[in-house]
Amino acid sequence: MHYGMAIDLNKCMGCHTCSVACKSANNLPNKIWWNRVLTIGGESMDTPSGTYPNNKMSYLPVNCQHCENPACVKACPVGATYKRKEDGIIIQDYDKCIGCRMCTVACPYNVRSFNWSKPEHYVDFPVGDIDAPVHQYNVVEKCTFCVNRIAKGEKPACMELCPGRARYYGDLDDPNSDVNKAIKGRNYTKLLEEKGTNPSIFYLE
Amino acid sequence: MSQKTEKNVFTQPLFIIFALLAVAGLVCWFLQLTKGLQLTNLNNFETWGLYIIGFMLFTGIAAGSLIFTSSAYLFKVMEEYKPYTRISAYVGAICGVIGAGLFIFVDIGNPERVWHIIASAHIASPMFWDTVILLVYVIVGILFTRQLLTVQDGKKDEKSLQAVSWVAFIAGLLVMATSFVFAMQVARPLWNNPVEPVSFLAAALVAALSMLIIIFAILNKTGYIQMSNEELKKLGKIAGVFLLFELFVVLGEVCIGLYAGGGEESTIIHWLVAGKGAPFFWAEIVAIVVGLILFVNNNAKTTVAVTGASVSIFAIFMIKYNLIQAQLLNPLITYAGPAGYNPSELGVYLPSIIEIGVSVGIVALGCLLVLIGLNKLNLGAGKQADSKIGYNKGTAINS
Repeated sequence: MHYGMAIDLNKCMGCHTCSVACKSANNLPNKIWWNRVLTIGGESMDTPSGTYPNNKMSYLPVNCQHCENPACVKACPVGATYKRKEDGIIIQDYDKCIGCRMCTVACPYNVRSFNWSKPEHYVDFPVGDIDAPVHQYNVVEKCTFCVNRIAKGEKPACMELCPGRARYYGDLDDPNSDVNKAIKGRNYTKLLEEKGTNPSIFYLE
Repeated sequence: MSQKTEKNVFTQPLFIIFALLAVAGLVCWFLQLTKGLQLTNLNNFETWGLYIIGFMLFTGIAAGSLIFTSSAYLFKVMEEYKPYTRISAYVGAICGVIGAGLFIFVDIGNPERVWHIIASAHIASPMFWDTVILLVYVIVGILFTRQLLTVQDGKKDEKSLQAVSWVAFIAGLLVMATSFVFAMQVARPLWNNPVEPVSFLAAALVAALSMLIIIFAILNKTGYIQMSNEELKKLGKIAGVFLLFELFVVLGEVCIGLYAGGGEESTIIHWLVAGKGAPFFWAEIVAIVVGLILFVNNNAKTTVAVTGASVSIFAIFMIKYNLIQAQLLNPLITYAGPAGYNPSELGVYLPSIIEIGVSVGIVALGCLLVLIGLNKLNLGAGKQADSKIGYNKGTAINS
């Protein structure tokens, strides 16, 4: 089994719901985003490319690419980040992480976040899933494909709440999975494919 | 040489200054431990900074010192430096401790888990290789110093140093492998090239020889050793050759980046040459050129060599500084994200007061250890091994 995701860039409207869904479901600390909708264009988020009247808005949702050949896994000196044999998900073991940020340097996608301060939240009670990860000070964290949810047969939070239904998720080894059906017959790209990391996220064009 | 003069080291003004700086560093580190790495100017892009720069610099000095020390026993052309090898081996060991241990120790978020690197080692990680190499530097440096002292005391023959010299020489060359933490990252085009390991070796030799020139010049003045101006000058010329190599590497990278005109590496080079990083880049170039001129000119004055050495250490520091910031502040994906994840927000990297405090403290601690070693161990003596000047430990630092 090999979990993967397809994101239809034609359907993504840049609403950031997936980012917020992720943040909320995983009870992410302030300032930390595992899943971000980047704006292809201006220097600030949600600003268009080009000059008036020839402007264009387009978006690129980016979370951990759960690479088949993950640069972060190779780099970690203590094996705190590893690829799960059973489903190819890249996991970060907070209890093992020494906080050296070698993985952050190794990742081409900048999807790894470090807890520079004690995890703090905007509300004084935990939000999201009951089994959301417990965040730790001084460790690196990132998207887990919502391992706690998929263990219960649910889908990752980001794709469940996407209003444009732009995300597809499933087993890449199963030809009948949602993700494989979505990819079939479509042109797709993978992020920075030339780096040889072989991401498991497909961007449908 | 009475017991009284030996004890003097702990009351010397220089020792007290270093001790105070080390304590100030400890306070800064304590603050960082309690409030977190948020007290640094690091972020999820510029995730490494002054501590890793210090780590690279001192690893280089450790490696270069081992190469210098062993060369005196392996190569005829370096034979004249044998009397000074006790100092260089000891300095190598101390810098190994500092480079290896402390700069990494203060950089990692969970220093109490540092033993995981050995206990649950992931042997495919270049950072694990670094840990092993740096441990080797400390062990080889200490063993080498010990062996040299045994030979000095006449308890062993000089020929017995052959084995440890080869081990130290090869260990020193392994500084090339310490570059793999950077050179093997496909995500970092500026680092991901085969010149990096060789550049690390050249930088190590420049930094180590420069550091030794400064130490030797000071000790020469105090009478701790007797090194001729020619010997000092020759060290400068050797360092100059490697500094010239570093200049070629930098110029080569600039030419390749500017010629390409676009692409990942070109973006970084433009950022350096004429972008936000320009002041840092041009400071680096000026330091390399000035260091080179001071090293290769024919002026035999010690002050020229010492100034050249100081400028060259700064040049190597800037090379490492720019290597880190130019790459980390220019990520591959440049699209705008939320606050904290938007590359457009990034300026240049300037270390915070806490980072500077911790780093100065670590260097001060290293200086303390070197002072103690010079006073307590029989490192000096120079060519006149039995002369009183050579053993004048108590006053060595005061004068």
